[in-house]
Amino acid sequence: MSCEVPEGAKEAGRRYTRGMLLAGALYIGFVALGVTVIRQMSPPQWLIIVLALLPALPALLMLRTYLTFFRALDEFQRRIQAEAALITLAIVTLAAFSYGFLEEWAGFPHVPLIWIIPAVIITWGVSAFFVRSRYK
Amino acid sequence: MRNRLKVLRAERNWSQADLAGRLDVSRQSVNAIETGKYDPSLPLAFRIARVFALPIEQIFIEEEAQAQAAE
Repeated sequence: MSCEVPEGAKEAGRRYTRGMLLAGALYIGFVALGVTVIRQMSPPQWLIIVLALLPALPALLMLRTYLTFFRALDEFQRRIQAEAALITLAIVTLAAFSYGFLEEWAGFPHVPLIWIIPAVIITWGVSAFFVRSRYK
Repeated sequence: MRNRLKVLRAERNWSQADLAGRLDVSRQSVNAIETGKYDPSLPLAFRIARVFALPIEQIFIEEEAQAQAAE
C-alpha cells in the first residue's frame, strides 16, 4: 500500500479532467459559433442574446465538475481548496471593485466583465499553491 | 495539538503513503497532521486510532492539558 493518492481521489481526478476537457471544448465551440453567426449572418437581437448566454453553460458544467471533485477530496485537501476560494473571492472582488472606481473616476480603460472567470481561475490556482505551501 | 503519529508509524515501519492508504486520505494530509500543521476532524482522529489500535488520547496530546499536568 504505497499509493500517493487514494484510489477514490484518483478516480475523482480523472472525472475532473474529463469534465473540464468537455466544458473547455463546449466553451470553444459556443464562442466560435457565436462569433461566426454574429459576424456573418447579422442575426436578430434575441438570437444574439441566446448566443451570448451559451458560453455560460460550459461555465456551469465547470462549476459542477469542480464541486464533484471538491466533495471527493479528503478533509485536509478540502480545507486548502476552501481557503484558496476565500482568498480568491477577496482578491477578485476587491480588484474588480477598485478597478471600477478607477474606470469611473480616473478614466482607466474599460475592462470587459468577461475577464472575471479567467481572473478567478488564475487567482484560485495561485492561492491554492501558496495555501498548500503553508502546510508543508 | 501534538501527536505521536510519526513515532507510531516508524514503529510499524510504515511510510506516510502507507498510512495515507490505510486512512484513505492523501499523503499530504498525513504529513500536515504529523507536523502538527493540521488537526484532523474527530471522525478522522478515530480512524487513525483504529488503524494504530490505540485510544485517541495515546496518539493526540492536547498541549494545554500537558502544560497543566506539568505544573
